[in-house]
Amino acid sequence: MNDWIWSIKSLARRRLRTVLAVLGIAISAAMLLDMVMLSGGIEKSFADLLTAKGYQIRLSPKGTLPFDTEATLPAAESIIRRLRQDPAIAAAGAVLGASLYGRGRDSLVTLFGYGIQPEGQGLYWLQAGSDLAPSDTNGVLLSSAAAGLLGAGVGDTVRMVGRLDPQVMTGSVDRKLTVRGLVHWVYDYRGQPSVGTVLPVMQMLAYGHREDRASLILVKAERDGHAPALAATLRTRFPDLEVYSVADLVAVFKQRLVYFRQLSYVLGTMSLIVSVLLISTLLTITVNERLAEIVTLRAIGVARSTIVRQVLIESAVLTIVGGATGLVLGLGTARYLDSILTSFPGLPAAFSFFVPRRESVGTAAVVLLSAGCLAGLYPAWVAARTPIAATLRSEAT
Amino acid sequence: MTAPWRSLVLQPAILMIIGAYPAGAQVIQVAVERPLAAELGLSIGDTVRLGTRIDSMTSSAVVAAIYEPRPDPAEIAKRERHIRLHLPDLAALLGVPDRVDRFGLGLRPGVSPDSAAIVLNRGAFGYRVHVSAALASESSQTFLVVSRFHRAIAVITIVASAVFLLCIMLLKVEERRLDAAVMRFIGVRRRTIFGALLLEAALVAVLGSLGGTALSYVAGSVTNAYYQRFFDTGLIFSAITHEIVLFSIVLSLVLGLLAGMLAAWRLVRTPPLVLWGRG
Repeated sequence: MNDWIWSIKSLARRRLRTVLAVLGIAISAAMLLDMVMLSGGIEKSFADLLTAKGYQIRLSPKGTLPFDTEATLPAAESIIRRLRQDPAIAAAGAVLGASLYGRGRDSLVTLFGYGIQPEGQGLYWLQAGSDLAPSDTNGVLLSSAAAGLLGAGVGDTVRMVGRLDPQVMTGSVDRKLTVRGLVHWVYDYRGQPSVGTVLPVMQMLAYGHREDRASLILVKAERDGHAPALAATLRTRFPDLEVYSVADLVAVFKQRLVYFRQLSYVLGTMSLIVSVLLISTLLTITVNERLAEIVTLRAIGVARSTIVRQVLIESAVLTIVGGATGLVLGLGTARYLDSILTSFPGLPAAFSFFVPRRESVGTAAVVLLSAGCLAGLYPAWVAARTPIAATLRSEAT
Repeated sequence: MTAPWRSLVLQPAILMIIGAYPAGAQVIQVAVERPLAAELGLSIGDTVRLGTRIDSMTSSAVVAAIYEPRPDPAEIAKRERHIRLHLPDLAALLGVPDRVDRFGLGLRPGVSPDSAAIVLNRGAFGYRVHVSAALASESSQTFLVVSRFHRAIAVITIVASAVFLLCIMLLKVEERRLDAAVMRFIGVRRRTIFGALLLEAALVAVLGSLGGTALSYVAGSVTNAYYQRFFDTGLIFSAITHEIVLFSIVLSLVLGLLAGMLAAWRLVRTPPLVLWGRG
């Protein structure tokens, strides 16, 4: 304990430089924490988003990612039937995405439509009203943005227009639907005006006639742990479709956002280097200033190991205080940086780049503390190897 | 031959497989982008089959050209592959004859795009006219976000650098305590000592910023080389402009001088005996 008190007192003697060093380490630690959060946060957030409703597998048209193109898969009903017969599958549902229009008070508004199967849907949370029944061909679900644009609430009737002919501004399909509920669509970007109907209604709106097509199929495995094996089985059973497990999609997404991951590694490393340089420089100069004090202690019998310990403790104190300040600073800056990156157009509103996790905070703390102790090694070595007699003589003159 | 290729960028998902050329069949021609040709081992004259669905790969096509795709920042992360066809061939393949996604218009010199768009939109019937600059601005939202993120990171870096610089300058000047004490003892004026220390700080800042500039050019070159290879593109990822260099040098000089001034001011205000360690 004495060692710690002595080190703290030694740092307190040079208040300004200690405050500046702590501030410098805090900023570097904040940056390090942010970058550790960024490097792991992207995949964590994306995986959480994909499994938000418990569906671990997606089937999409060959060569495409879910909702990445306008491609659709044929014979959706038959695929769903085959999937639901599989005892390893707890639920399966087809989804059709389509652009459509709603008649507002005095104009047409552009909407995004989801055709869903309510008995196997993994796309929304009900917020108000009631859910669609599987056979409800007269009901519609609205996002709050769509409800605002259409000026409609639960129980109101809205008109949906599909296959709009831009030349005469009329749709070949026009349906009156009753708003059953307001929902939060999991994958919508901020303010996206989305509506949902049962799949056959959306197929009518999208194609003008009933066509058995879907954009993707969501599959929920009976057990989470069995999902990768089930995905492999489905790949064999449906060679004409792309089958993605959550891990597959996270890998693709990571590849697309590889720049941010690499940037986080580079900036994290630079933050660490700055911290090490700062601590090392500060302590080396402090040790050089205190050489007379150090050799006097050595001369009266204080062990070399005690001196080394003192310097290392000073280094640890700087790192701990700077790191703790940096933790608070880092969480604040992470929120700010996250608010910038989540404004990417088309990104789901629930997605986060900087996810504060116990592991990321722990990793940043361990890395910083190790680097801080490492930074103290050189000044500690300088303090330990100083020749007693020669230094005392030179200090006396 | 080359003009029609440019008229259309492939929008829908087209599936392609390499296969044999059926004798006597009507064959369409495709231009394949270089990375795709390299991936599939295609060369000019090879035959591929095209279709919009895996179960309808019925159209045969001959690779008539291999082209270098124009570097596009919006595309690099997607790693999508493109082929180009003559417009009627693609329309026939998709089963939508005489339809296009968009037209590109080139205006005569002196005609304002905005006023041309207003005139065309006034008589619009089934289409909407957009000015290229407005479209570019809208489609560059992603890069504006990245740019804002970079700026935020730069601000944090500048704050960290300023603190680091202040700390180093303070230590550097404090190393001169004994020199300053001796100068004060022999009658050198505070202002002279302050000036000397400031000059030293300026020299350190100049050397540091020059070293930093050289380092940034090296880091920029490494970044460009790495990402150009990684994404197989000619895009510039790190552009160090004269303005950026000038801004960085001026900023580091100002910060260095401020830090030096603060440290020197503290030193000259301290009594010489205290500096000598006897106060």
